[in-house]
Amino acid sequence: MNNKIPNFIKTNQFGLLILVIVFICIFSFSTDGFTSRFNIYALSRVVALDIMIGLAMMVVILTGGLNLSLGALGVSAAMFGGWCMESMGIPISITIILVLAFGSFLGWINGFVTVRTGVHSFIVTLATMSIYFGFMTLLTEAEAFRKLPEAFTDFGSLKLFNKYISPLLIISVLTCFVLYYIFKYTDIGRKLIAAGANPDAAELSGISVDRMFIYCHMLSGFLAALAGIMLTARIGAAIPSMAGHLGFDWLLPAFLAPVLGGTLLSGGKVTVFGTMLGAILVTLINNGLYLIDVGEFWVRFFLGIILLGAVLLDRAREYFTVKNSIVS
Amino acid sequence: MSALLKKDWFGLGLVLIFGSILISLFKPAFISPFNLYVLMLSVSLMLVVAMSQMIIIAIGQMNLSVGAIGGLVAISFTGLMEVYSMSILPAVLIGLLIGLACGFINGYITVKTGISAFIITLATLYIFKGMNLGITEAQPFYEIPEAVKFFGNAKIFGPIPYLVIIPIIITVLMWILMNRTSLGRYMLAYGNNVQSSELIGISSTKIVIYAHVISGLLAAIGGMLVVCRLQLGTPNIGDSWLLPSFAAPVIGGAILAGGKVDVIATAFGVILVSIISQALVIFKIDPFFVQIFLGFMILLAVFINRYREYREERRTKVFSDE
Repeated sequence: MNNKIPNFIKTNQFGLLILVIVFICIFSFSTDGFTSRFNIYALSRVVALDIMIGLAMMVVILTGGLNLSLGALGVSAAMFGGWCMESMGIPISITIILVLAFGSFLGWINGFVTVRTGVHSFIVTLATMSIYFGFMTLLTEAEAFRKLPEAFTDFGSLKLFNKYISPLLIISVLTCFVLYYIFKYTDIGRKLIAAGANPDAAELSGISVDRMFIYCHMLSGFLAALAGIMLTARIGAAIPSMAGHLGFDWLLPAFLAPVLGGTLLSGGKVTVFGTMLGAILVTLINNGLYLIDVGEFWVRFFLGIILLGAVLLDRAREYFTVKNSIVS
Repeated sequence: MSALLKKDWFGLGLVLIFGSILISLFKPAFISPFNLYVLMLSVSLMLVVAMSQMIIIAIGQMNLSVGAIGGLVAISFTGLMEVYSMSILPAVLIGLLIGLACGFINGYITVKTGISAFIITLATLYIFKGMNLGITEAQPFYEIPEAVKFFGNAKIFGPIPYLVIIPIIITVLMWILMNRTSLGRYMLAYGNNVQSSELIGISSTKIVIYAHVISGLLAAIGGMLVVCRLQLGTPNIGDSWLLPSFAAPVIGGAILAGGKVDVIATAFGVILVSIISQALVIFKIDPFFVQIFLGFMILLAVFINRYREYREERRTKVFSDE
């Protein structure tokens, strides 16, 4: 019993939780409007997306790789969804299924090329990023889909729980639980982790590592497509530039959340709830920086500093826990 | 001859020559003086950027902040001249110094913490870009001395712009560095295998910091050359460097795991990418296709490299069996 409490304190989820609470305190005392209903609702809509993006990156980091094409993939899937609903008149539920399948397919391409060439997924997804984004811009002629079904856009602006929370956040949290269950309790989830942690050992124990890596990329594509749909619902339109040029705006939250959450970049370790806390922290800081009025141009600077600080802190924590374990 | 065939740049060179002949047969405008001039300008600028990335690829890392360093230096360079009415030479020196400092920060943090350079340079990308936007508030600097404008747009003779001088010098220096100096060989050794390079007495700290400092300096030069070309210092200089900076070395046969780069092949990679972009424009193909094309070329290069490696592996296996 005595042993259990310090173990939880040592994890960086605990550190994150403390940080989240500290930042909430700081921002609610130092700024007006941080705890206002409007701001909390706005936060919940942003957090929902950041969690989803973070999870999409996390499942690829599990393989020791990364997915630069995340933003381009998500936007491509979202534009595909916009086209389905607006131009083809396909019902919402079928559209969503199609979009998720499309996202998984794009993810499959990433995974297949990575596995077959043996090249680091960085360079593969760098290439597919420009291919996806380029095709998407060509096919849509950079035009947005703005006449989406009302039922769809209404969902994005729905307010739940005394108008505090967006339903999008509930989707993200549910996704967290599902992923946690998969990684913790299912056969396939354990295999994914084993393949990421030590591919050679996994291969020897009869796991097809290549297939597992492709699954990870497909899952990443699936989650990115889901994030794309959520963003479309939030904005109320599918816009080619909604994740910035080449989808780059998604990249920082995508890496920040899992890295803050304690996912190892070398692969083999996932922390679903760490990623969730990481995303919450990023959104909080982002929102707080705007409220404190550091000037929108400096926000990026501070986010960079925070990412740097986070990884350094993580390294220090690792260093001290190792040192302690040697001493005791 | 067979030694020549094995070189990375040989095949690329053939593709370049035949490609250019083919394009100019279809569209004679391709070899018009104006087109050659534009081509050389784009090659010059991308050459520096590609070299800046190549040296980091050589040590088996990646530098996402190349564009951000270039942008920060570009606006500092122009800002110093416009706001503080500094003369050109000190402004250039300070620009180089900023590039050096940025590179040093990247290298120092990477090697001291042992965290992947990808994450460190992603963070510094935002830091440098954030400083850029914070300083300029997204407004460009327009007041550029005439001499700078002249350097960026005048021609030495025929279609050859002044702007090619510095990139050519840099390419030659980089070739010497990678092929004829111990520092360059150490970098490749480090990129190939960190542990064994340390065992034979190569200082990791020194190698990583040197590589990042050179990368920072080259990015700074790239940023200032773009200022000369554009005749203004906009905050978005460097935003679009990421893809081409990786494309050229990878097309030139660099292995991303480190330990193998080829300066000449990288230069050919830059030329190839520029020619294709140019050709697509001449054939009036949608500019977005250029991007798609670049993506496919990277994938193609990756597959070809993989195939060659595979063949090489088979050959060495035969020998070891004997």
